Amino acid sequence: MNSMLEVKNISKSFFRKEALNDVSLKVNKGEIFGLLGPNGAGKTTLIRVINRIVEPDSGSVRFDGELMTEGHLSQIGYLPEERGLYKNMTVEAHAVFLGRLRGLTKKDVHTKIDYWFDRFGINDWRKKRIEELSKGMAQKVQFVCTVLHEPKFLILDEPFSGFDPINVELIKQELIEMRAAGKTIMLSTHNMKSVEEICDRAALIHNSKKIAEGKISDLQSERKMGLYAVRFQGSMIAFVNALWTGFEVHDKDILGDDRFVMRVKMRGDNSFDDLLKVLIGQVKIEAAWEVLPTMQDVFIDLVQPKVTE
Amino acid sequence: MKNSMLIAVREWKARMGSRSFVLFSILGPLIILGLVYLMFAFGGQSKQHWNVLVADPTGIMGNKIMASEDKSVTYAFADGYIEMEEFADAKKYQSFDALLEVNEKVLSNKIGFVFFREKPSIRMQTRVQYHFERRLEEVMVKEFTSLSLKDFRKIKQPLSVNFRDVYDPNNESSDLSGWVGFFYGAIIFTFIFLFGMTIMRSVSREKSNRIVEVLLASVSPNQLMIGKIIGVGLSALVQFVVWVVIIGLGLYFMRETLFPDMLNAANMNVQELTIQAGEQSYQENMFAAHEYNQFVELVYNRVQFVNMTAFFILFFIAGYVFYGALFAAVGATMGSESDGQQFILPLIFLLCFALYGGYYVLNYPESPLAEVLHYLPFTSPVVVMVKLAQGYYGPGHVYEIYLTLLVLITSAFVMLAIASRLYKNGILQFGHRVRLKHIYKWLKKS
Repeated sequence: MNSMLEVKNISKSFFRKEALNDVSLKVNKGEIFGLLGPNGAGKTTLIRVINRIVEPDSGSVRFDGELMTEGHLSQIGYLPEERGLYKNMTVEAHAVFLGRLRGLTKKDVHTKIDYWFDRFGINDWRKKRIEELSKGMAQKVQFVCTVLHEPKFLILDEPFSGFDPINVELIKQELIEMRAAGKTIMLSTHNMKSVEEICDRAALIHNSKKIAEGKISDLQSERKMGLYAVRFQGSMIAFVNALWTGFEVHDKDILGDDRFVMRVKMRGDNSFDDLLKVLIGQVKIEAAWEVLPTMQDVFIDLVQPKVTE
Repeated sequence: MKNSMLIAVREWKARMGSRSFVLFSILGPLIILGLVYLMFAFGGQSKQHWNVLVADPTGIMGNKIMASEDKSVTYAFADGYIEMEEFADAKKYQSFDALLEVNEKVLSNKIGFVFFREKPSIRMQTRVQYHFERRLEEVMVKEFTSLSLKDFRKIKQPLSVNFRDVYDPNNESSDLSGWVGFFYGAIIFTFIFLFGMTIMRSVSREKSNRIVEVLLASVSPNQLMIGKIIGVGLSALVQFVVWVVIIGLGLYFMRETLFPDMLNAANMNVQELTIQAGEQSYQENMFAAHEYNQFVELVYNRVQFVNMTAFFILFFIAGYVFYGALFAAVGATMGSESDGQQFILPLIFLLCFALYGGYYVLNYPESPLAEVLHYLPFTSPVVVMVKLAQGYYGPGHVYEIYLTLLVLITSAFVMLAIASRLYKNGILQFGHRVRLKHIYKWLKKS
C-alpha cells in the first residue's frame, strides 16, 4: 500500500531537552492512524514537525512520496490540541479567513462553507461572534475550519476533547466517511476506545521514542493472554464442572439470574475447540470469543513498566 | 506574500472594527484641536479683558491714559490714595482687576505700581505698561520740553540691534521651525508607540488564545509577522489620514470663524516688525511682538506641509517597520500576555530617548552627538524631521537625508530578520518567564 506520510529518523531537542529521538513511522493512504502516547511523550512535537511548524534537528518527512515542502501544507488539515479562534470575529468570517489561508479561492471558500456549515448544522451561527459560542460549539467550528479545504491528509490532535457524546459520535462518523472517501487521517488522542473503534493502525510514542507501531488488531494480539470468553445460559456449577482440570476460570460477569459471561484460560494443550466441546450439552452457549486486550490495556502495558523503571 | 496579505487584511479589519480604534481616530484629533484652541485662545490674542482703576491723587494723568480706545483694557480714575489692602478687600473695588498707582514721584523716579488680583498675562502687562508709559511721555514732554510730542518721539529712538546668522540671515531655521519638525517627529513616535503596542498585544493574544498554531500550519512565522506589521501599519495610516483630515479641517474652521482677527497678527512677521521699529517706540515694538501669536504663525505659516509631509511619510513607514518588527519580536517572546509588562518600560525608554534625541538636535543642531543621532535608526525619524524643519538639508547636505533614509531602511530589514528569528523560535513557547538567556538562544538558533 502507498504511504501518504513517511517520517524517517526524526530527532528534535529544545534547549538540550530531547523531544523526539530517532522517530520513524508510516501512515498509509486511506487509513486512520492513531498517534498514541502519554502526556509529554513528543506527539505534539512530531505533529508540528510534520506541519513544518518546527524544524527537526535531523530526519526527513515525505508526503505522498515527495519530500515534504511548504507547498504540501495546503493538502493538510491540522487541528491542534491547543486550538483557538479570534474571539471577536464572526464564525463565517473566521471560516473564510482560514479557508483562504489554506489556499481556497474567494469563490470556492463560500461554496465549501455552505456545504460544511449545512452538513454540521451550524448555518445559524454564521453571524455569531466566536465569543458568543460555547466551548463545544467553538470546537465544532474549529473542526469545520480544519476540513473546509477538503485536504488529502488530516492531522487531528485530541479532536474529541470538549465534545459531548453526541458530537463525539458525529465526528467519528465523519472521520469514517472521510476514510471511505479516500482521505488519510492521523489522530492523536488519549481516548483509547475511539482508537479501537476507528483506527486501522497506530504508533505509540513514549519518552520521545516510538515504542510500537502496527495494526490495531496486531498490537492487541501481541499482548493477548490466552483468555477466552463464553456467554451462556444455565447453571454456573454445570459450567465449572464441565471445565474439570483442562481449563481455569479467570473471572466472570453475571448478566441475569441464569446468564453469565465467563472468561477462561486454557491449561496444557487445550484449545478453544476443546473448550467448546466440553461445554456443549452442559450449558446453552450464546456466544464465545477470544478475549483481546483493549487498547487501554495495550497502552498501559507498553508504557507502565517504563514509568516504573 | 499572498498569505501575508491575508493576515494583513484580517488584522486591518480587526483594528478598523474595534471600538477603541474608532474612538481614538475621532477623539485623538479632537483633543489636539481642543489643545490648539486653548493655545490660540489663551496663548495669543486673548479675549481677556481688564478693568483697571488708576489712582492718581496728584492728577498727573489728567484722567486720561489713551488716545484711542483699547478693547482689552478699560480704565477708571480715582482722585485719592488707595491702599493696597483697601483695594483688595473693599466691596466697591471688586469690579476692578487691577490698581495702577500713579504716585507723585513717578515723573522723577519713573516707578509705577500695578496691584493685580490675578496674575496678568505678559501681553496684558505689556499693554498696561505701554499705555501708562505713553501717557507719561505726553505729560513729561509737555512739562519738561518745548518739543512737540511727534518730534520727541522721533528723537526718542531705541537702538535696535539685530543678531543675524551669516548662513541664515533670514532666520529660516529658527527654533520655531525646529519645533515644527519636532512635532512631526513626535507624531511619528506617538503612532509608532501606539501601533507597536498594538502589534505586541496582537501577537501575544494570538499566543495566549492558541490560534497561532492553526495559523502556523498554513503560513510561516515570517509571513505571519510581516502580515501583522503591514495590517496594523495600514490601520495606522488610515488613522493618520483621519487625523490629518480632522485636524486640517478643524484648523481651517478655526482660522475662518473662531479667530478671524487673529490672522492679521499672524500674518505679521518678526522681520517686518523689526523694520517697522523705526517708526515706533521700543515699547510699541515689544507690544506688537507680543500681540503677534507665535503659535498661530507656527501652525499657519511656518509648516512647509508638502515637503515635510513627503519625508514624514517615508520616515514614518521605515521607522514603523523598524520598531514594528521589534515590538512583534517582543510579543512573540512573551510567555503570557502579562509577561510583556516588563518589556514595555524599556521600549518606552527607547522611544523617549528618540524624542529626547530630537529635542537635543533642536538645541544643538551642529554638535557631534547630533550627527550620530541623525544616522541612528532609533532616533533618525525624529531627528531628520527636526533638521528638515530647520532647513538643514541645503545644497551640499541633501544627500544626508537620503543616506539616513537608506540606513533606516537597511536597519528595518536587519531588524525584521532578527525579529523573525525571535518570532519563529519564541512564538510556540508558552507559559514561560522570558529571560535574556532564552532570547540569546533563540537569536542563535537559525
